[in-house]
Amino acid sequence: MAQKTPEIYSVELSGTEDVGKTDTGDGKEKYRGLKDKRLELKKNHQKEELKKEVDLEDHKLSIKELERKYGTNIVTGLSSTQAAELLARNGPNALTPPKETPEIVKFLKQMVGGFSILLWIGAILCWIAYGIQYFNDKSSSLDSVYLGCVLALVVILTGIFAYYQEAKSTNIMASFSKMIPQQALVIRDSEKKTIPADIRLLSTQGCKVDNSSLTGESEPQSRSCEFTHDNPLETKNIGFYSTTCLEGTATGMVINTGDRTIIGQIASLASGVGHEKTPIAIEIEHFVHIVAGVAVSIGILFFIIAVSMKYYVLDSIIFLIGIIVANVPEGLLATVTVTLSLTAKRMAKKNCLVKNLEAVETLGSTSIICSDKTGTLTQNRMTVAHLWFDNQIFVADTSEDHSNQVFDQSSGTWASLSKIITLCNRAEFRPGQESVPIMKKVVVGDASETALLKFSEVILGDVMEIRKRNRKVAEIPFNSTNKFQLSIHETDDPSDKRFLMVMKGAPERVLEKCSTIMVNGQEQPLDDSTAEAFHTAYMELGGLGERVLGFCHLYLPADKFPETYSFDVDTVNFPTSNLCFVGLLSMIDPPRSTVPDAVTKCRSAGIKVIMVTGDHPITAKAIAKSVGIISANSETVEDIAKRLNIPVEQVSKRDAKAAVVTGMELKDMSPEQLDELLTDYSEIVFARTSPQQKLIIVEGCQRQDAVVAVTGDGVNDSPALKKADIGIAMGIAGSDAAKNAADMVLLDDNFASIVTGVEEGRLIFDNLKKTIAYTLTKNIAELCPFLIYIIAGLPLPIGTITILFIDLGTDIIPSIALAYEKAESDIMNRKPRHKKKDRLVNAPLAIYSYLHIGLMQALGAFVVYFTVYAQEGFRPSALINLRVEWEKDSVNDLEDSYGQEWTQYQRKYLEWTGYTAFFVGIMIQQIADLIIRKTRRNSIFQQGLFRNKVIWVGIASQIIIALILSYGLGSVSALNFTMLRPQYWFVAVPHAILIWVYDEVRKLFIRLYPGSWWDKNMYY
Amino acid sequence: MTKKEKKSFNQCMAEWKLFLYNPTTREFLGRTTKSWGLILLFYLVFYGFLAALFSFTMWAMLQTLNDEVPKYRDQIPSPGLMVFPKPVTALDYSFRVSDPESYRGYVDDLTKFLKSYDLEEQKNLTACPDGALREQKGPTYTACQFPVVSLKGCSGVEDPEFGYSTGNPCILVKMNRIIGLKPQGKPRINCISKKTATLSTYPSNGTIDLKYFPYYGKKLHVRYLQPLVAVQVAFNTTSTGKEVTVECKIDGSPNLRNQDDRDKFLGRVVFKITMHA
Repeated sequence: MAQKTPEIYSVELSGTEDVGKTDTGDGKEKYRGLKDKRLELKKNHQKEELKKEVDLEDHKLSIKELERKYGTNIVTGLSSTQAAELLARNGPNALTPPKETPEIVKFLKQMVGGFSILLWIGAILCWIAYGIQYFNDKSSSLDSVYLGCVLALVVILTGIFAYYQEAKSTNIMASFSKMIPQQALVIRDSEKKTIPADIRLLSTQGCKVDNSSLTGESEPQSRSCEFTHDNPLETKNIGFYSTTCLEGTATGMVINTGDRTIIGQIASLASGVGHEKTPIAIEIEHFVHIVAGVAVSIGILFFIIAVSMKYYVLDSIIFLIGIIVANVPEGLLATVTVTLSLTAKRMAKKNCLVKNLEAVETLGSTSIICSDKTGTLTQNRMTVAHLWFDNQIFVADTSEDHSNQVFDQSSGTWASLSKIITLCNRAEFRPGQESVPIMKKVVVGDASETALLKFSEVILGDVMEIRKRNRKVAEIPFNSTNKFQLSIHETDDPSDKRFLMVMKGAPERVLEKCSTIMVNGQEQPLDDSTAEAFHTAYMELGGLGERVLGFCHLYLPADKFPETYSFDVDTVNFPTSNLCFVGLLSMIDPPRSTVPDAVTKCRSAGIKVIMVTGDHPITAKAIAKSVGIISANSETVEDIAKRLNIPVEQVSKRDAKAAVVTGMELKDMSPEQLDELLTDYSEIVFARTSPQQKLIIVEGCQRQDAVVAVTGDGVNDSPALKKADIGIAMGIAGSDAAKNAADMVLLDDNFASIVTGVEEGRLIFDNLKKTIAYTLTKNIAELCPFLIYIIAGLPLPIGTITILFIDLGTDIIPSIALAYEKAESDIMNRKPRHKKKDRLVNAPLAIYSYLHIGLMQALGAFVVYFTVYAQEGFRPSALINLRVEWEKDSVNDLEDSYGQEWTQYQRKYLEWTGYTAFFVGIMIQQIADLIIRKTRRNSIFQQGLFRNKVIWVGIASQIIIALILSYGLGSVSALNFTMLRPQYWFVAVPHAILIWVYDEVRKLFIRLYPGSWWDKNMYY
Repeated sequence: MTKKEKKSFNQCMAEWKLFLYNPTTREFLGRTTKSWGLILLFYLVFYGFLAALFSFTMWAMLQTLNDEVPKYRDQIPSPGLMVFPKPVTALDYSFRVSDPESYRGYVDDLTKFLKSYDLEEQKNLTACPDGALREQKGPTYTACQFPVVSLKGCSGVEDPEFGYSTGNPCILVKMNRIIGLKPQGKPRINCISKKTATLSTYPSNGTIDLKYFPYYGKKLHVRYLQPLVAVQVAFNTTSTGKEVTVECKIDGSPNLRNQDDRDKFLGRVVFKITMHA
């Protein structure tokens, strides 16, 4: 068979030999069936379907049935025409990339989201107002048209900005996924082969596959032709697309390609699981609602007041616009975006790559983390953890660099054991890595042998050299039937002509072959007491969840086995019994050294860490204990039963804090029982779970109102990653599907990085509160002028354009600067915020900003305004109800308090000076506002006035922008700024100082009387 | 769907009711009576303090002011021109010679405006020498008489209708008062019109006498009368339905500006007279 369409077939699982060619093709029936199924799935059965195991029947069929089903022949394969036909019908063997939202839709969303609607309304009202004006008087001024255009421009510009920020952060992700090459279908000249499609295996030879990308199980799994399990994911006769074949060869028949493979199905289903709204998005929406509500209600209220005060409807509309513009913090959403992306950058430096900006904060509000074990909590490599020889258990160093091996190495037994470890091992370092530290070297061989090789290399030095000195003459490799591995070597002692036979394997099998045991370097007969000691040690190590290997050796007598003796491994012409048992060695995938600390931090931060793993419960529990997910003094129901020696049923569930739940138990649980489990136990480990069950666990947690973070790497994890409030994919081990579904990627796969992320997320929430409080404050100072203008008829104190210059000019950099503020207290010592109770913008924040500081600011700005008018000739008393005369174009001899007469333009210019004065008044007080917002509870002096340098950059920017507007652009009449006398810049300073003092007093009382009435009403 | 919505609506109402008054915690609008009392007391004290503070700062600010002269006069360096009768909206006078009602408003306005220029009113004022600035040192400041007869036909003495009834309407032009303004040269009001009409200005040549300057402000310079210039329009043809646009400017004084792109009334005024038969 020639390889005509290589995307579809060319199934070559091992580089050594092509046993045969297999063909592809799924019958039309099958295809249609799947399609129907998918249609049905779309009718919102998706999640239910997902929680069931994936549906596949082919593993149950016999070869003959398969041939019939797919209309093929396992020897000759499909004809080339059939193959082409199938290719045309089913498409190439590739996954459809997930659907992207079109850029234009994303862009338009930015244009209508948030406050944009309000501003659009403002702009349209402007144009309507002009329309009415034009209808009455053809020569009316174009001012309101310009204002409408400016408002529209503001919306469009902030929209473009937000879109750009969003796109930029997405680009980080895109560039990141380019860094990791997409897995090629077949990697030649290397040890691993990726399986190109779903395959029903027809013949195998010692085939082992790594299904970790699919099921998350790191252990290699053997593959054979027999149907072993109803669940297609568990059965041995199916090889899955995108999994890798580690060793052996196999031939199979392609049953599914592309999107129809198991992985393809999961990936497409995952994209169907609705993405939850992020907590910060909810908070911002809530905030927008509050502000918009205030804006609209005040606007309408004053519209009615204005109309009933007999203002023209046209004027009332213009008031309405002013009120809306004053109330809407135009720059705030852009500021929030910048703030979030600054944090995202900071997190990326700490190995948390955030795909979705809003996820930055989600991590901070996380209350439950469902973590994988392998690779996230552990180092994802087997490591020697314990040794047993001379009737003693020794602890080996399992830290990342193995540097500190402290066990007793003086015993003669250790000398023999180390020799066996070194020699009875087929793993080798890949050449050309001399400069790489031992622990980082790439090894050819399976996980256990790699662990042993590195272990011996660290302790004994150059293993290859030792092996060279002890030339290998024969070898029986490990297989699952005899469960041991054996090799025969020459010794490196020139005077010793004997051959050394070394063996390792399953401890009980190795012990069976032994008649003596080495203790302190001396061979002793293996009696019942030593066998008992062996069993105790074996059970103890096994109980730690470790994989135990037994080691033994035998010096073959030189008389029977001379130097020239030819060993034959097929006939086994040498003894394999009555050997000398030397010791046990146990291995585990050890926890990362930073994880226990991180788990402790999580605990003090009120975050529940739940382990969800596909591993064996004993291993899972052991790791959970060693990293602190199950704390040292807590017990499971089973532990208590064992300690008290009573049946499990009699143990009161209340006594147990921890629980280890297997996937089988979880399968039988109702949602209510799961809820109970999740609330009753504070320390939970889920073992032997399938990735589908992860989704169930996530949903269970979400029912408790928790914000759930989930880690995952396999394709199968992607639904859970999507469902979670924040899905965290592994950057190294993670599959592309998982990364696609996730909100965040951990570049170093390290659980500890999540915790630093949590810290950043919490900080940003606090700082956003400060930013919003800062921004909201001046809204009152901008709003009051309009209200006073309508009610008391003063000349307008501040213009709409001027307000925009505050919101989008002087205030932008300071509000971003608050994002750089350090935490006030240890944010990792408090509970995660409650999704529904701890709001970003709560009543005290709004009230304190609006009715306290905002009002003080308004008063301060009015003082500047009145000063300017009074010193130019209009005393405050003269201003009241002056509005109508003041604004009449035909009045060109308006008399001031001193008898002088003003033309309309002279008044207008004075009005602009008033705008500038009011603007400067607000700006000066916003400096004080910025300083007080640095903290919410502590005194500014506790926090350090100069610690956050960016704040000072912000203050400088405020002053410089204001100076430029007044003195630089003061002559541009369209901007309504004038050159202000220098002394007016200082009029509001006393008010600014008052704001600072008042806020210090507020904070002092909050600190002095925590929980008091003051604290409840004044702390935001 | 609808059922669900209805339920949530009912829930909503129940929640609102509970918010309005919660009998178990005796909370009214989310606060107990005590809490409301404290809040009200707090705001009473707080806002009382703010009001007092604001009043104090305003008072302090007013102390910096001078009663007689405003602190700064930079925003009105040069006077504007204004016309009487006071225009209602735009500077557009329109009347019918044959219909006294159509110009009644204008005549009344002029009469009212010239009331303070009555001989009777002016008898306590000083008769000042012509042609020179009249700087005074105080403490009392006197105002100069303005001989209303100098306005001739527009003084309202001879013709109480100000020429409206004869088709030769009068418009008074005045210069805005500015404290301390000292015009240089020989200021005069120069009015021009485009063809169709001849203009006569009174006093002759539209002169504004320097003796009325400088002005010392409402408080010091009581009963100050500002100089006036009258413009009388005489249409060239006798045909009915005439229209004329008149532009008046301050002339002959280098420190009084009469040309500004933005301020159309700075040292000048443009008005239109439409006369129907």
